[in-house]
Amino acid sequence: MVDKLTVELIRNAAVFASEEMGIVLRNTAYSPNIKDRLDHTCSVLTPRGELAAQAEHIPVHLGSMAIGVMNTLEYLDREGESLEPGDIVMVNDPYIAGTHLNDIMLLKPVYVRGRLVAIVADKAHHVDVGGTVPGSLGGDVREFLQEGVVIPPTKIVIGGRLRGDVIKLIAENVRTPEYFRGDLKAQIAALNVGERRIAELAEKYGVDAVLEAWDEILAYTERYTRGRVRELGRYGRFKAVDYIELDSELVPIRVTIELKEDGGVTVDFEGTHPQVDAPINAVYGVTVASATFALKSTIDPEMPVNHGFYRAVTIRAPEGSLVNPVKPAPVSGGNVETSQRIADTVFKALAEAFPERVPAASCGTMTNVMMGGYAGGRRWAFYETIACGSGARPQADGVDGVHTNMTNTLNTPVERVETDYPIMIIEYRLRPDSEGPGTYRGGLGVTRAFKLLEGKATVTIFSERCSTRPWGLSGGKPGEPSRHYLIKRSGERVELPCKTTIEISEGDIVYINTPGGGGYGDPCKRPRRLVERDLEEGRISLERAHRHYCYKPEKSSFNDPR
Amino acid sequence: MPGKARVGVDVGGTFTDLVLFDPESGRIAHLKVPTTPRNPVTGVMNAVLEAVEDLSRVSVLVHATTLGTNMFFGQSGIEPPRAALITNKGFEDVIEIGRQNRPELYNPYFERPRPLIPRSRRHGVRGRIDARGREVEPLDADAVRRAARLECSSGVRVFVVSFLHSYRNPAHEEVAARIIEEECPGAIVVTSHEVDPQPMEYERTSTAVVNALLKPILSSYLERLLRELESRGFKGKLLVMQSSGGVADASEALERPAAFIESGPSAGAVAVAYFSKLMGRGKALGFDMGGTTAKASSIIGGEPEVVDIYEVGGRIHHGRLVRGSGYPVRFPYIDLAEVSAGGGTIAWVDPGGALRVGPRSAGADPGPACYGRGGSDPTITDAHLILGRLPSVLAGRLKLGRDLAEKAVKERIADPLGLDVAEAAWAIIRIANAIMGKALRLVSIERGHDPREFTLYAFGGAGPLHAVELAEELGIGEVVIPPMPGVFSALGLLVSDYRHDYHEAIVKRVGEVDDRELEEVFERLEEGAVRTLLGEGIPRDRIVLRRFVDAKYWGQAYTLRVPYAGSVEATVKTFHSLHEARYGFSSPDEDVEIVVARVEAVGVTDKPLIKASQAGTGEARPKGWREAYVGGSWHRMAVYDRERLGVGAEVCGPAIVEEVDSTIVIPPGYCGRVDALGSLVIRRG
Repeated sequence: MVDKLTVELIRNAAVFASEEMGIVLRNTAYSPNIKDRLDHTCSVLTPRGELAAQAEHIPVHLGSMAIGVMNTLEYLDREGESLEPGDIVMVNDPYIAGTHLNDIMLLKPVYVRGRLVAIVADKAHHVDVGGTVPGSLGGDVREFLQEGVVIPPTKIVIGGRLRGDVIKLIAENVRTPEYFRGDLKAQIAALNVGERRIAELAEKYGVDAVLEAWDEILAYTERYTRGRVRELGRYGRFKAVDYIELDSELVPIRVTIELKEDGGVTVDFEGTHPQVDAPINAVYGVTVASATFALKSTIDPEMPVNHGFYRAVTIRAPEGSLVNPVKPAPVSGGNVETSQRIADTVFKALAEAFPERVPAASCGTMTNVMMGGYAGGRRWAFYETIACGSGARPQADGVDGVHTNMTNTLNTPVERVETDYPIMIIEYRLRPDSEGPGTYRGGLGVTRAFKLLEGKATVTIFSERCSTRPWGLSGGKPGEPSRHYLIKRSGERVELPCKTTIEISEGDIVYINTPGGGGYGDPCKRPRRLVERDLEEGRISLERAHRHYCYKPEKSSFNDPR
Repeated sequence: MPGKARVGVDVGGTFTDLVLFDPESGRIAHLKVPTTPRNPVTGVMNAVLEAVEDLSRVSVLVHATTLGTNMFFGQSGIEPPRAALITNKGFEDVIEIGRQNRPELYNPYFERPRPLIPRSRRHGVRGRIDARGREVEPLDADAVRRAARLECSSGVRVFVVSFLHSYRNPAHEEVAARIIEEECPGAIVVTSHEVDPQPMEYERTSTAVVNALLKPILSSYLERLLRELESRGFKGKLLVMQSSGGVADASEALERPAAFIESGPSAGAVAVAYFSKLMGRGKALGFDMGGTTAKASSIIGGEPEVVDIYEVGGRIHHGRLVRGSGYPVRFPYIDLAEVSAGGGTIAWVDPGGALRVGPRSAGADPGPACYGRGGSDPTITDAHLILGRLPSVLAGRLKLGRDLAEKAVKERIADPLGLDVAEAAWAIIRIANAIMGKALRLVSIERGHDPREFTLYAFGGAGPLHAVELAEELGIGEVVIPPMPGVFSALGLLVSDYRHDYHEAIVKRVGEVDDRELEEVFERLEEGAVRTLLGEGIPRDRIVLRRFVDAKYWGQAYTLRVPYAGSVEATVKTFHSLHEARYGFSSPDEDVEIVVARVEAVGVTDKPLIKASQAGTGEARPKGWREAYVGGSWHRMAVYDRERLGVGAEVCGPAIVEEVDSTIVIPPGYCGRVDALGSLVIRRG
């Protein structure tokens, strides 16, 4: 029987191994998505594919990775394929790997003296995997085959030998093959480092000790999770509904959370709308990741998440629904937008249970903007996501202009955009009066305006919260919705919906306004000092202070700086 | 006639350390006094006066201070001055939005650092330069004038001017600065292109803001210090340590105060670099463990890793600064990985029943449970005491209560985990080693090296306690405990060179830039660097200049620093091969972009000739014996007095070597030998 200290040392070493894989992947990757935006995740799993340790990178991979590896092992088993030393399997089929086609997952078995000790895996967002639009996200697609090349679990390395023909086959089907190859190499390098580290662990402590330690590590996480839930001491069933926008229709996501006295948690999406033929379906892995995010944030941000967590927490999603679709539903946007709404819905239900812990809704969108065209004889393509307001907290304002919940990627510096693309940024600032009023107010959204300097370009906006608003809590009001529009060179103004693809010409300006976060508590109870500070700093207008915060200036009226 | 003594003073959070070198006798003296946070000059003067009565004997005083960091951590008594920002209209919030990320992924109560200039004092004015440096809209000079007048009349005396693409064309910033100086005579005006001429508006503006805010604070501090020193007869030079590991004249520090923010910890890495060079160790890891944190650095070929960006006031997580948790400053600084593991770091049992160490610390007050100041949380120091590794009295003054340590470990760790007290204490040490090992792994792995190839240099009060066991954990074969490990960082102050770093933006693809253009930029940068060093009294023949470019493949986010090979073509070749070496591949067909040209200028100083203490003899004799726990069991350990170990003396484990401010643990199977510099070099065997 392996002792506690050894288990703890192995647990630490496994986490470090996954982090070291992350360092190697980031250092060797080619595309900015991975290097700068850290859109990748590395993990160590037990021989059965149970997640043992994961480096914290991007929330949407949390949990979805575990499902991806399990599904892949099952698939291989069904196909009669076995995992041999030196093999590496690649997969991006979202219905197996658990996110969307852009996320390519690689996994490798770790054998020591002929025994399988662990599986190491990594997942990275590839810039382009083919499909109808550059970047492979969104667009007017009806089924997931339009979203790019589908890779079922495939051995790209057999016994240490790379299969060049398979790599070529895929490279020919993507728009940026050099990125694909570079990032794939980085992913392989990371797996090799992870394999080495775990093998060293097994050499040091013995194969049996490591295998026993995995079990103990999962048991530990289950104990931790149940312990925390019981500490909170609130039990029962809590329900919520929120909506995702599809043209003029609102598509409901429903959740029921049950908190049990044994510390167990069930999250059930029964009642959620059936899958749709637009790219807003979220595969089960994304649903798990989003629910896990909301639970971890609410219960304990420091809580480790591995397979042990899912012994305490069960996540159910009806098959064929928006949150667990079946083929051939398109799913590319499930990752970026629906994931936000799933998190919102779970937070909303948790707020019923823990009103003193859960913030009001954050803006609920990543606001994806994609642009591309020809200029100076070169093809260019640009993609970014835009920050917004975070939800007000029970004892503090939300944060202005920040990425929330399922995303945390960096912006592209204005000077970088203007150097590399025929775009001039006209404005990049906080969006006053967009906050959800409350005793504690929501964070402000952001205004970002793009002017096309040359030729023509296609612009795709993929965002949310145009017809719904980020909800407030305990009497707090909702944040202002998204608002996008186009100012043509002629001066004509065209309002744009949340999800659209348009053609623009030189001199046209696209304005993106992201939502503010919801407010918490009665806005009329907001301390006067804070209202006046916001007025002085131009974060809210005098009119808004009157209308929402019951603000009456004493004697001489406050001098509105705007 | 002025004296020759060189003095280094390192002001830390708890102690102010001083090292004095007298070239006539070749002697090195050192001492520690308590830091006086509210008025650090007092602590510095206390230390200096305790070490030297006659300050006219001191020719050089090198100083490291954390004053800058303390201001950003909100220490009372050093509030930042009120400042105003003039920037492009529509971009007033760039310094608040930052890179739009949040510093904590899962904590719903996250906060971002409070903007250093409130929104009401950020003024957007019309006027625009494009990415090629062309003016597309003239500067609204009247708006600048109005803003300057308004702020000046409300008492603001610090102004920052930052416009988009000013690294390409500074005209608008220059005009605006002139207008502010006219409207508000005597005000401090900092323009972004002067401080940090390279792209990325958030980082450049932030660097300028931090620099501007520190100016008045650092200058009044240094003036006060110099006045005090001079009133005691000091006629020498006052130098300040920079985060880059080089020193500069105090007057130069006032021009670029942001370059001096993290200078104390850098000095430790400089000392390791110096020792590793003298000892001929190509790869060295610096391991500095104090009361609250452990810091790791890597030194290859005598050069510490220097990086170009730092976040002041930022939070450390898993060894690294969390991006977006502080205020970015783009000045070179020695790369250190930091973890919460120091003598005062607290051990606890989490809700899943796992033993954890840190990040909370008992600090200096109440301190570890064994200090008897009311602390009831078990710390790393308590674990060492229980295991017999520490003497019962620390530094000749502080009596340690073993019963208190045992009580804390028993109640909080041993009982909940079902271990006996010694096992629990041993588990605390092992977990702490795992955490610190991670910091050491980071600084080697991130540079593409395996920690096993390195020699470990351990210092700081607690470093030598852990060094050998830590090395074993990492597979490192050799450990060096330098002389005076407790004040080793201060020693680094005495062995560092002058250093200045200058850069200028290029932002052009290869093909758009020719050799002549780069040559002109380098010459311009070198001219400035040489002028500064000559002004600091460095003779021309001791000035070493090095040229670099930051280059990347077009479309990539990360740049590589490449030594300039005399021409663009040759440099691009070097870039491809560096990329290949670092990342395992290169793409010779891709466009390469040269982003920045850099000059690193070093003024080589005379280094003290350090000799081992003459007090000891070449033969080791224990001063006593005690029971201590190493390698998982109790041993009867010989206890040695380090002062009495002369050159050539050999000590084999299980043994403990004590000195005033630190304790070295040598487990069974290891032997240490004192070398000519007085270092204890420990190896297996």
